[in-house]
Order: sequence, then structure tokens, then C-alpha cells
Amino acid sequence: MIEKFPYGKAPFWLLMVSVLSTALLIATRRPASAKPDIVFTTFTPLHAEAYRRLAPEFERAHGVHVSVQLVHQQGLTSRLQNALLAGTAVPDMVELLAGTMGYFISGPLRDVGFTDLTEHVAQEGLREKLVESRFSLWSSRGHVFALPHDVHPVALMYRADLVEALGIDVSKLETWQDFVTMGQRVTRDLDGDGVIDRYAIDLPLGGSDGLLLLLEQRGVGLFDAEGRITFDDPRTVATIIWYLHQTRGAHRIATDCGWGQPLMKAMTDGLALFYVAPDWRTYTTQTDLPHLAGKMKVMPLPAWEAGGRRTSVWGGTGLVITKASQHQELDWEFAKFLYLNKPALGQRFAATNIIPPFKDAWNLPEFRQPNAYFSGQALGSIYASLAPSTPSVYSTAFYQLATDKLNEAFLRGAEYFEKNGDAGLEQVVRRELAEAENYVRRVSERRALVMRDE
Amino acid sequence: MSRSPRSPAPRAQIQTHRGGAPYWFLAPYLVLTTVFLLYPLLHAGVLAFYQTNGPRSRVFVGLDNFAFLLADPVFHKALKNTTIFALCSVFLQLPLSLGLALLLNSGNSKLKGFFRLVLFSPNLVGQIFVGILFGVLFTPRYGLINRFSQALIGWGLEEQWLGNPALVMPAIVITALWVWVGFNMIYFLAALQSVDKGLEEAASIDGANALAVFWYVTLPSMRHVVVFVVVTSIIGSYQLFELPLALLPQSNGSGPDNSGLTVIGYLYQVAFAGGDLGLGAAVGWTLAVIIFVISWLQIRVTGVAAE
Repeated sequence: MIEKFPYGKAPFWLLMVSVLSTALLIATRRPASAKPDIVFTTFTPLHAEAYRRLAPEFERAHGVHVSVQLVHQQGLTSRLQNALLAGTAVPDMVELLAGTMGYFISGPLRDVGFTDLTEHVAQEGLREKLVESRFSLWSSRGHVFALPHDVHPVALMYRADLVEALGIDVSKLETWQDFVTMGQRVTRDLDGDGVIDRYAIDLPLGGSDGLLLLLEQRGVGLFDAEGRITFDDPRTVATIIWYLHQTRGAHRIATDCGWGQPLMKAMTDGLALFYVAPDWRTYTTQTDLPHLAGKMKVMPLPAWEAGGRRTSVWGGTGLVITKASQHQELDWEFAKFLYLNKPALGQRFAATNIIPPFKDAWNLPEFRQPNAYFSGQALGSIYASLAPSTPSVYSTAFYQLATDKLNEAFLRGAEYFEKNGDAGLEQVVRRELAEAENYVRRVSERRALVMRDE
Repeated sequence: MSRSPRSPAPRAQIQTHRGGAPYWFLAPYLVLTTVFLLYPLLHAGVLAFYQTNGPRSRVFVGLDNFAFLLADPVFHKALKNTTIFALCSVFLQLPLSLGLALLLNSGNSKLKGFFRLVLFSPNLVGQIFVGILFGVLFTPRYGLINRFSQALIGWGLEEQWLGNPALVMPAIVITALWVWVGFNMIYFLAALQSVDKGLEEAASIDGANALAVFWYVTLPSMRHVVVFVVVTSIIGSYQLFELPLALLPQSNGSGPDNSGLTVIGYLYQVAFAGGDLGLGAAVGWTLAVIIFVISWLQIRVTGVAAE
């Protein structure tokens, strides 16, 4: 048979492989399941589990089918961005991570692939019902594109057993100055090998989120409400210099414990006594380090000045409805069902320690429940009391660029400080910040060409 | 010998009949190449003169993308980092590969195959895996590399390999060495095994020592392979992307103060994270020109093309 094939042996086998593989594909094809009415995608397993539990109630009430999908955060962001730009299929509703909004709003408003929720938010009075500061993170040019999932107020989490054994009274750590004084007392090389074994606090050496949340606590972030970059501020310079003093040099009180397993090991060893802790981090800590149960506590952040703000904000999730969705009103109903469903929010807090922005929910019993892991403290009450004073974080298309540039300025200041100490440091930091600001401004002015709505 | 007047007819018929067949078999390749290579290349050439927000919104900006690029300190830094990495590949990685190949080629040990597999095996795992693995090895205080260097030279326990701008590129180079040294060693080993042993023996009999034999006989005999490995290493180095991305995930592969940013990393940031496909296309074309010029110079200098 092969010999009779007019084109030779190789083409014959190529043809056979194609025919067989096609037949195999057809034979093993599964019947397509009915397309869901709402495809909802999130990047957090905890959220996916919670929504899958809630979805049947919504499905029964509305006679629809909801599919909740879990996708890795980085993959979700880049694929969604590309799919929206290319006009290919996207989910109906998506949860996004704070800081990624800039990727989706880098063009004219007509190119933003999400439904403008501004009117919905106004009609439902959500600016009053939710923590107002959280909307800024999900807005662009005066339009709200996502519903905030959380508040993420920041506190300090600490090894209460070690801190109390050292005779530290945390109620007296009201300002960062108090904290530094305490920190310099407890930061020690305990075994005399020249390596410090106990630090007061865990702060990223490279600045990044640690620096940014301290700036935001101080009331200065990357952008102001009008989207103008705000590096040129004496508070920014002062905070950077303060941060450098705490993370470098002979009098440092901070070490960088990193993430994941190194962080867990450092916490177990008591390498640092205090850890910056947004609400979500308390949950990951109690899950990952069960052996520290009863040894941990939380306290509000020290303020920059007596009586000042005792919290900041770190992270966040927002829910968008894509313009491509065929049933926008149904999506909005589902969004409200998930985010404004008071009893469910109580259960969600109990399962995640995350404070929702829906203020009414904070009175639920789950929020007053003592948490045995955190030495019986009522985490819900502590974080909810901090939530109303969380600072606004303004999102723009250049948020990531501005974050990178702020860090560059910080690291160049750090390089100078390590070589020269304090002499001339302020001028260097000021100059680097000015250069960083100019760069962001130059890029944003250049991009203005393509961001115009005409 | 005469040919039957009737015999050419059926052959011609068969040839006519078969005439289109090769094109059908070539068609998948041609279609794929046209759709996924030629068209994007041409399109990128056009795109480089536009500022875009994805494929939907675009504004013609002439040469502005190239002007911005040439003046952008971030691009300069990316180019500098990539060039340092490429130089390390050529002057650090390849000599190590050659050295290992010489070692493996010199003995008749039964363990030769085992060591060949061990040295090559890092290449069998993906760069993302390697990045994650070395991210743990470089952990301050607890990482194996930090502990090893502290024990060996009394330095490094608390060093932030991936957080200190001065140490990020060395960390990337060390990681790349682990991956690629064994891979290039295989090329050199194959080349060494094809060197004429008679020539080497003749040189030895004539009084040449081992170094002279290597320098005057072995190395010239494997010149084509060396040039090939150097050219492909440089091209690969200028295309470096996944390794820093996996090693420095917190900063999308750029590292503190852009100390780990590569040209492709820069392209990814402006085109895919920033949505400016036009500027991304300009970066792509600039990189293509750089790689072309370097490769052309190398081939000209070594004279391989003339042979």
C-alpha cells in the first residue's frame, strides 16, 4: 500500500498521522457544557472559595448560571489587558489587584475595557456606605471603574511574648520617634559574632511597599487627587531620610525579612519583633505559622506626630465589569450581592480577617470576636477602627512608573548615605526625587497624545 | 542507447501531477512563517512610527519613538546591563564551558557520561524554575549561597543579592552560569571529539607542550563551533528576559534601580505593561540592528564567512 502511494513514504506517513490525530480528536471530544450567564474571574483562592459558596443563592434567585474561575494574578492581569486591547473574549466580571489599574487606563477613556460604574455608585449612595477613600484607587479621570472589595488598613503585628519579656509597653509607642527610641534599645547582636540577631522591625531594604505606605500614612503618596505627581514634597524627603536611618548604618533598627519561607523563619526566630501588617497579612500569618498562636498581637501604627494618623493602607482588590459583558445589570446585581451582602461579609471576615469597605458590616458579631491566635484580641474591631482614617491612593496610568521612579530615587539616596552618611544627603534625595518626577512627567506628557478622548 | 519515444510521456504526466505536491507540503511552514513572522515584522516596522495604546488607538509620531529611546536613561541602563551580561557570557561562561569540555574529553573515565548529564541537566529545567530556585538560594541570612559565602570568606550572610543594585547583575550571571555552562560544554565537547587526533599527536612529537597543542592545533580545528557558540551566546544574551523576570518577580524583572533590567525586559514594560506597542516595536528594531551589527562584525573579524 505504501509503495503504491504516488508521493513516497514520508508524505504517506505524514498523511496517516494527520488522519489518525484528527480522528482521535473527534473521538475524544467532550460535549460542550452550557455557557454560563456570568463568568467571574478572581486571583485569590480564598475569594474564589467564598464566591463559589455564595453563587448558588444568587443563581436560584435569578435563574442564571454563574461560573467562578481562579486565575493566577500576573497571568490574569496580562491576559486581560491583552484580550481587552485586542478585542478578544474576556470574562464578564474580574477582580483586580490594586496597582494594576494603571495597565487598563493607559489610553483614552473609550479604550478602557471596563464599564463606568460612576452612576451606579452614585445611585446606590455607595460613597457614603463604603469607605470613601477606597474609590480613588479604582478611578480614572473622575470615573469609577471598580467596586472596592476591601480597605486593608495597616497596623503593626508583633511577637507579644518577646516584646513583653523585654518590658516594652506598646501603648507608649505613640509616634515613630517613640518606636525608634525603643528600637535602638532592642536591636542587638546577642551572641557577639558581629551579626545582629534581633531587630525591632521588618522593613524592605529597597523601600518599595514599606516606604510607600509610610508616605501615604504621612498624607503624601505618588499622585494627588488631580493625578499630578507629588514627589516634590518636604514630607517625602523627610520620610526617605528617616527610612534610610532605620534600615542602614550603625543605628539601624530594621531588617528585611523578605517574603514566604524566609519571612516565616524570621518570625519564628524572632529576628524582628514588629511587622507591618495590613489586615490580610494577619490571616496569612495565622495560617502559615500556627505554632505562634497566642504569641502574636497587633497594635496601631505609630503616628508621625502625636495625635496623627495611626494607620496606612497596603494592597486592595477591586471588582470590574467588562464592557464586553452582554448583561450589565445582572453583573451589577451580582457585584452588589457579593460585596454588599451583610451576613456574608461577616462570614468572609471570619474566614479571611479582611475588613470590607461596607461600614454597616463592621457591627456584625464576627468583627468583635476575640482571635485566639492574636492573644484574644478582637482583630475586627481593631482594624475597623483604623479603616475610616485610611489615606486615599490615587490611581493613574503611570502609577507603576511612579512607584519604580520613587524607588530609584530612594536607592540612589541609599547609595549616597552608605558612602557619605548624612552630609549632603537631603540635597541628594531632593535632586533624585526631582529627576524622578521630571521623568514621570515627561513620559506622561508624551503619552497624553494617545490618551486624549476626541 | 536509444529511448523509447513513448516512455517520457507517463513520467512527464507523473511530474506534472506531482508538481504541486511539494508546495502543499511546504504550505504549512510558509503560511505560519508569513502570518507569525513576516507580517508581524513588517507590521512592527510600520508600528515603530506610531504611539499606541494597544492596537486600537494610535497616533503617528514619525521618528519620535526612536528619539525618545535614544534619550531615555532607562533604555541606556537596560542596554548597559544586557551588554554586561553578554560580555560575562562570552568571557566567563564560554571559557568555563570549554574548560569543562576539555576536562571531560581528557579522561576515559566511565563517569564521563554521568558528569556530562549532571552538567547539562540544569538546562533541562525551565528558566522560571531556575529563577525561583535561585531566589531561595540568594535569600539573606537563610539562603544557601549567603551561608556558604559567610562560611567561606566571612562575608555575605545578610547580603541582599536581589535587593542591592550592585549585586543584582552578579546574581543573574551566577544563575545563568549554572544553566548555560553545561549546555555550551556539549557543543565544545562535540567539537573536541571531532578534532583530528593525528594532528595533535604530530604536534606533540614535534615538541609542542599541551598548551601549545591546544592553542595551535585544537582551538583552530574547532574554530567554526567556537564562533557559532559565541554568536549564539551573544544573541541569546541580548534576548535575556525570563531569568530576571523569575528571579526578581517583585519588580517585574527590573530589579532595584533597574539593575536587572534587560533590553527585552524594557520592551516588555513599555509595550505590554505600558500598552505602547509603537515604542515596543522601536525597541525591537533597535535591538535587531544591534544584534545584526555585532554578529556581522564577529563573523567578519573571525573570517568564518569567507571560508
